Amino acid sequence: MLRDKSIKTGACPVTESIPASPGIEGGAGSNPPVAAPNIGALAGAVSGSPFTSRAEAATAVKTADLLLIIALFLIMIGGYHVHAMLTMGDWDFWVDWKDRRFWPTVLPIMLVTFPAAAQYFFWVHFRLPFGATFLCLALLTGEWIDRYVSFWGWTFFPITLCWPTSLIPMALYLDIVLLLSKSWIITAIVGSMGFSLLLYPNNWVILAPYHQASEQYGTLMSLADIIGFHYVRTSMPEYIRIIERGTMRTFGKDVVGVASFFAGFVSIIVYFVWWNVGKMFSTVKYMETI
Amino acid sequence: MKTTMLSSLARHAKRQAGRLWALGLAAGLAVTMAATGPADAHGEKSQAAFLRMRTLNWYDLKWSKTSVSVNEEYEITGKLHIMNAWPAAVHIPDRAFVNTGQPGAVANREAVFVGGQFAPRALQLEVGKTYEFRVVLRARRPGHWHTHVQLSVETGGPIPGPGQYVDIKGNFNDFTDPVKLLNGTTVDIETYKLGNIYLWHLLWYVAGAVWIAYWFSKRGLIGRFAWVASGKGEEVVTPQDRLVGAISLAAVLGTVIIFYAITVSSYPNTIPLQAGDFRNIPALAGEVNDGPLKITYLGGSYKVPGRELVANFKITNDGKEAVRIGEFNTAGLRFLNPDVYTTKVDYPDYLLAERGLTLSDNAPIQPGETKEISLTVQDARWDTERLSGLAYDVDSSFAGVLFFFTASGTRYPMEVGGPVIPTFLPV
Repeated sequence: MLRDKSIKTGACPVTESIPASPGIEGGAGSNPPVAAPNIGALAGAVSGSPFTSRAEAATAVKTADLLLIIALFLIMIGGYHVHAMLTMGDWDFWVDWKDRRFWPTVLPIMLVTFPAAAQYFFWVHFRLPFGATFLCLALLTGEWIDRYVSFWGWTFFPITLCWPTSLIPMALYLDIVLLLSKSWIITAIVGSMGFSLLLYPNNWVILAPYHQASEQYGTLMSLADIIGFHYVRTSMPEYIRIIERGTMRTFGKDVVGVASFFAGFVSIIVYFVWWNVGKMFSTVKYMETI
Repeated sequence: MKTTMLSSLARHAKRQAGRLWALGLAAGLAVTMAATGPADAHGEKSQAAFLRMRTLNWYDLKWSKTSVSVNEEYEITGKLHIMNAWPAAVHIPDRAFVNTGQPGAVANREAVFVGGQFAPRALQLEVGKTYEFRVVLRARRPGHWHTHVQLSVETGGPIPGPGQYVDIKGNFNDFTDPVKLLNGTTVDIETYKLGNIYLWHLLWYVAGAVWIAYWFSKRGLIGRFAWVASGKGEEVVTPQDRLVGAISLAAVLGTVIIFYAITVSSYPNTIPLQAGDFRNIPALAGEVNDGPLKITYLGGSYKVPGRELVANFKITNDGKEAVRIGEFNTAGLRFLNPDVYTTKVDYPDYLLAERGLTLSDNAPIQPGETKEISLTVQDARWDTERLSGLAYDVDSSFAGVLFFFTASGTRYPMEVGGPVIPTFLPV
C-alpha cells in the first residue's frame, strides 16, 4: 500500500507531500517523538506546507492514524466475517457442531487466510506484528455482535448454544512467531502449524463442560447434543450435522491431534497462498487510472 | 416561447430523472414494508401439491394443549404414513429427522419418539409403513406460535405436517431447561457455564487488544510506514520489542497449557458428540392398508375452477361388517363425510372441511359386496392451502388416505391415489 516508484528509489513520499510532517518521527501515541531518518531536513515548516506548526501536523497524523486503524478494523469485521461465515459457518455457530474432527480441521484452514494476508500488509509495510490478532479481534467483534444481536436478540438462541470459537491465542501465536523469526516462511510452517494445534486446547476450557454425559430416555448424549436438540432450529435437521464422520477409526478416541496436525499442514499451504494474496493487494497500483 | 419552456422542462426532468426514479423506488419500498405482517408460517403451502399429497400422510394428530405457561410441557402426537405413492422428485426417507416447525426456539424440544424409540437424531423410515410419533415440547417464549411436526428428508428437504397455533403465556426470563447429568448433578442448559464463556472470550479479547495497542502506540501507522519506506525497516522493531514478544508468547502458551490441564482434570469424564442414525424403527401394525378392503382406482378428474376432485373407485368389502367412507385425508387437510362425522371434530379449522366429502353412493358397502363409487372432494381449502395447483404440477397425480368405518367403530385407513385429468374451463 502507498508504495510508488519514488519509494523504490529510496525517497520518502511523506517528506515530499507533507514537508513539515512529524509523521516519520511520531504517529499515534508516539511519546516522545524520536528522530528518524531525514528528520534534519524537516526541522521547520517549509513554505507550501498545509500545517502552520509541528503540533498541528502531529495532531493531523495522529488523527489520520486513528481513522485508518478504525476504518481497517471495521472493514475487516465485514470482510473477514463474511469469509468466515461462508466457509466455516455451522462449525463455529453451534455447540453441537464443535466436534473432534471437522471443527479443528475446517476452522484453522479457513481462518489462517486473511491473517496471512494481513501479516504481509502490516509487517512488510509497517513492521507491525499484529496482523493476525487484528483480524481475529475484528472477526470476534463481528461474531459477538452477530451472536448477541441476531442469534440471541432476534431468534432467542441462548449463548450456550451459539458461542463463537476462541481465536485470539492462535492469532497471538502466529503474530509472535513472525515477530521473533522475521521470516514469513518460518511463520508459515511453525506459525500455521501452531495456529491449528492451539484451537482445541484453547477452546477446551469453554467446551469441556458441554461434553459431559447424560442419559436421555436410554440414549447417551453429551450436553452439547442435548442443547442442540432442545433448541429447535427448524431449518437444521440433525442429519446435516457434519460431525465425527470419516475413516480415522484406527486412531480410536485420539483423533483431535490427527485432525489438528492435518489442518496444520494444509494451513501451511494456505498461508503461503494468502501471504501472496496480501502481497498482490497491498498496493495502489490498481487505482492508478483513477 | 412555449416550445422553449417545454424543452427546458424536459431537460430539467431528464437531469433529475435518476433522482426521481430513486425517490419513487424508495417510497415504493417504504409503502411495501408498511404493508407487511409478521411471518408466522413455515412455507408449508409453498411446496407443490403433488409432493404434499404423495409423500406423507399425517393423521390422528393431537396437540395436548393449545394454551400453556412458560416451562409447561405439551405434546404433539399422531401417526405418520409414508405413502406408497412417494414421488420420484423427492428422495425416499431412508435418512430423515422428525423435526419441529415453529418460529425459532419458542418451545424447547424435550423429546421426540418415533415408534416408541427416542429419536434425537436421524432415522430410517420405510415407504408404505405407518409410524406413531410423540413430540414433547416445553414452552419457552411467550407468544402466539404456529407449531408443526415436520419430517425433514435428507436431500429431499422438509415436509411440514399440519400446524396448530399454541399460545404461550408468562415471563421469558422464568424459563429454565434442567438436564440431569450422568454424575447426578442437574444443570440448566439455558445458562450453564455462560459466565465461563464470557470470561474466556473477554480475557483473550483484552489480551489481543493490549497487543495491538502496544504496537500501535509505537508511532502508529503513518510514522512506521515512512520509516520502513525509508529503508530502515530493521531498526523499527527493537530488541526490547522482541523481548516483549517472547514473554507474550510464553504467557499465551503457558495460559493455554495450564488451563487446558486444569480443565481436563476438572472434567475427567467427557464424551464426544454423539452421531449415528437410528434404524429398525418399529412400524404400527393394523393401520394403513391393513383393512379387509380391495380398492381399484378407476380414474379421476380435477376441476380447476370449482376446486373439485372427482375420483372413481371400485371397492370390494371382504370384511365381516359393512363399511362407510367417512374421510379423505391428504396433505394435512381433512375432508369429512358429514353423514359419518356427526359430531364436532377437534382439528385446526383451516385444515378441516367438515362437509368436504361427497359420495355418489353413500350407503354402506356390505360384506362381500363390490361397488363403484364416485368420490367428490370439494372445498375452498383446496385453494387456500394451494392444493389447486395440482393441475399445473409436473406429475398430475393425487394421493391420500380414505378412512372407512364400521358401525361398531372399527376404522380402516386405506391409501388411494392415481393420475387425474384437469378441467380448466367451467363445464
